This record gives sequence, structure tokens and C-alpha cells, in this order.
Amino acid sequence: MQALTAGRAVASSWGATLYAAVIARDPEKRPGAEPPARIGPRVPGDPKTIEAIRSALARGGADKIVVALTDTAIIPLWSALGTAWQGVLDRLRPRLVLFGADAPSATELGPRTGARIGARLFLRARGVGSDEVELRDRDGSYVRMTDSGAAVVLVGAAPRVGRHGDDDIDVMVLELPGGVDPRIELASTAPAELVHTTGTLVAIGDDAACDPEIAQAAQRLAQVLGAHVVGSAAAATAGVVGAGAVLERGAPLIPELCVAIGLPPIDLAGSASLVRVGTAGGKGVDGALTGPIAANLGELARLLEDR
Amino acid sequence: MTAPAPKLVVAVWLGSAPPVRSIRWLDGALKAAAKFGGATAVAAGAQTWLDLASDRAVRLGLPCVGVPTELSLDYLGWAQVMAAVARHLAATTILVDEASRPERFAEVAAIAELLDAAQLTRVVALVPDAATIHASRAAGTTLQTVRIHGPAVIGVRIPGPPIDEYPTPMPSALLRRLELTALGLDPGVLGHRALPPRASQPANRSVDRVADHLAVHATPRKGA
Repeated sequence: MQALTAGRAVASSWGATLYAAVIARDPEKRPGAEPPARIGPRVPGDPKTIEAIRSALARGGADKIVVALTDTAIIPLWSALGTAWQGVLDRLRPRLVLFGADAPSATELGPRTGARIGARLFLRARGVGSDEVELRDRDGSYVRMTDSGAAVVLVGAAPRVGRHGDDDIDVMVLELPGGVDPRIELASTAPAELVHTTGTLVAIGDDAACDPEIAQAAQRLAQVLGAHVVGSAAAATAGVVGAGAVLERGAPLIPELCVAIGLPPIDLAGSASLVRVGTAGGKGVDGALTGPIAANLGELARLLEDR
Repeated sequence: MTAPAPKLVVAVWLGSAPPVRSIRWLDGALKAAAKFGGATAVAAGAQTWLDLASDRAVRLGLPCVGVPTELSLDYLGWAQVMAAVARHLAATTILVDEASRPERFAEVAAIAELLDAAQLTRVVALVPDAATIHASRAAGTTLQTVRIHGPAVIGVRIPGPPIDEYPTPMPSALLRRLELTALGLDPGVLGHRALPPRASQPANRSVDRVADHLAVHATPRKGA
């Protein structure tokens, strides 16, 4: 819903129409089946669930809803969703396409969408401003109403906007049969180990983990960030790291964001973004806080909770 | 008599700039490519980076193609460069080191789009098996096992062995230089995908600024 919230703010500011696009599998549809002569303005599936989705999208600020019906399983891969998504793009010809940065399909669909429409791409952007809203990424690049050309934005944070109450909005249904790319075949899925986590992690050093105040503050920050606290077996002994979050010394991690507290005995160089608390930083660090660790962690959590 | 399986021709795109923090992931991508046999490493950008890329590739027995350019391009601009090299090499499978620099993962999709290939991002393990590639992909809290058939661009996040320091690379005679024009690319046209020059951003040093940085990763509150 972050993308929708940011989209609402932008659309209101720019005087644009905001479409919420949903790709849904029609259980009644079979590959190769004849399309019905006319599809009514309804979304397939359980009516209560669909109505709840429609209501949520309307309250989130959508002006209109587009539902792309596909006969393929909904898997967050371009190979599975690309054809249906292309149908949406062909129909709407959007100037600005927003994805929630943490949405399961965002990394597969976002950049490919940008490449297909020749758009500029913004990663982890946020809405800035109130009257003239723009979207700005962490490098300082921005999308403004006066820009020419299309843009694709992976939204990391949305401004606060009031709820919209108009539930009576149009639903456009597009029937887009088939289209799975046979070159990518999903064989199975299994729970991922933490070493393969691509989200946010809080990594804690052994010394820091032994300080109850730091441990508590680390867990609070992790909760705000929706992150796991990871560390070595020694940190687990101190109680701050759960049994499933113990990593071998030197284990290489690849999270989107890692907050390193103290000196975790883990290889964090693969983090897309790295923030250190309790050490001076180093090469390629996005943030570094020296000084009292527990106080800094507590203040960070408070500031984030207040947003 | 059945037709022989089509041979995979593999190239590994190391990108347009050196890794942000560690060359471990670059080495891992090269090692993954070396599993295929006959793979070629490709890099573009400044000469010092091309020397480093070539040095690491040669250590793993891979030839390296370097595209020297002073251009600073966006994801689609660099994808045009790699797609042109892939066509030049007749490569059908492109591995992309997407862990060494955070902005590079977007190039996976862009290269795939330009080559009309399948794409797969966030691959943490892969095994070639004749004309098929078996891959494990990190997708949030799940690990997907995927079989790849035919032309594909694969973003890999596979670590090499830990390495703290490495010898300063020297210009290598083994680096094969390919100019943009030799690839059919006009630097003037490519320049339309140039990024505006930006000063490197210093690390955030105050609690307020770090909180601001973290805010784009925070879990959305209920009702927000």
C-alpha cells in the first residue's frame, strides 16, 4: 500500500489519475479457453475477499482499478506475470509507474517495466513536499511533474495522506490469456535461510549483545524496521539472537539494509545499504553513529516510530 | 536421432565500476561463470576498473572483454553496452554480478529486455546441466528452485572466498578492448542515458540523518 499512498499524493499534486493495478488468476479460466463475450465489472474469486481488496484500494486513494486476469499461477517473477503486466501497460500507457519497494514482485517487474518503456528508474524513493509533491531517491535524484519522459519508482516510504472514502470507483477488467515464459520453470519453493535474506537485518556484535540495554534497544529497532536480529552463537547465548538467527562467523550476507551494532563477526559487504552503530564506519557505509550505542538505537527507534 | 542440445555461450557482466566494499562477490560471479566453461567476463568504464576486472577474471581462467568509456550511464545505458557485447560474443546466457553494487540489479532486467531473453534476479546458487541451468533464487522469506531453459540473463549473488586485500592490478595484455563504436554504439546517442554528475555522498553521521535514511526501509505502520 506504500506505492498507493505515494501515488495518491503525487496524483493529487499533479492533477493525474491514479490507477491501482492488480494481477489476478481467474480460477475459472483455462489456457486456450474461448474468452467470454463480455466481462462484467467484477473481479473473479471469492466475492468477499475481492470486495475487501476493492474497498482497500479505494480507501488507499485509487481513482480507478485495473484487474489483469491471467490463467497462470501468480508467482512474483517476470516470466509468470510479464505478459499480464504488459497488457496493463499497453492499456494505460502510464507516465509514472510505482511499485512498493518491498513488494515480492517489485525487483522482477520494476526494472523490466522501466526498460520496456524506456523510463528512468528510481530505487527506494519517497514522496517529498506537500503542494508540489516529488519523488526522490536516496541518491538525490527526483521525479517532478515538469519532467519529460516516463519514470518507474520503487517506493520505500510514503507521505502521510488522509483516507479517501469513495468506495464507488471503476474497475476495469482486462483478460490476458497465457503468456508464461517457458524458459523459466519454477520447480519448488522452500523457506529461505537467513543467510539468503534480501530484506532488512540488524546484526549485533558479541560484546554489544552482552549489554542488556543495547540488546533491548536492538530488538526495538529491529521491530520498527521489520528486521531479524542476527549474530554469532555467542550473541545467542546472551539471549538477543533467536535460535534460527545464529550465523557462522564470517558468513556473507546480502540484505537490502543491514544495521551493524558493534562489530558483528559477519561479512556485511554484500549489503545494499549498511549503517554502523557504535563504530566509526568504513568504506561504502551509508551511516555511522559513534557514541553511546543504546541511546542512539533508542533514539533511532523513537524517530522511526514517530514518522 | 535427437538434435543435440543447444550449447550455452556464457558471458558475465561485472558492471561499470568496482565493487563498493569487497571484491568477494565479483569473484563469486566469476567463479559461477567458470562452471560453464568458455565463459567471458565483461566490464566497462574507466581503465583502472577494467584492469581490476581483467585481473580477477584471469585468476579464474576467464578471458575478459573491456569497453573503455568515460561515460556515466543509467541502468538502461549500461544495459545497451552489455547487450551489444553479448551480441558480439553471441552469448546466450548472461550472468550479472548484482551484489557488488546495489544499483546493478536493475541492469539484469534491462539487458534481458534488450536481448529478448528471460530474466532471473537474486540467484544465490546455480548449476549448469547441459542446456539447462538449475538455480536457487532468494525471494523474501522463500528460496525458489528454478530451471532455466534457453537465453537468459541471471543476476547472481554468490560469494567468492573471503578476501581482505588483493594485489594492485596492473594493465594486462590479456584484456581484450572493445570500443563502443566497434560494438555499433554511438557515444553521443548513448549519452542520452547519462546520469547527471553527483558528488559522492558522505556517510550520515547524526541520529536524525540516519533515521531519515532508515525510514525508507521501515515497516509501514498499520493504517498508514
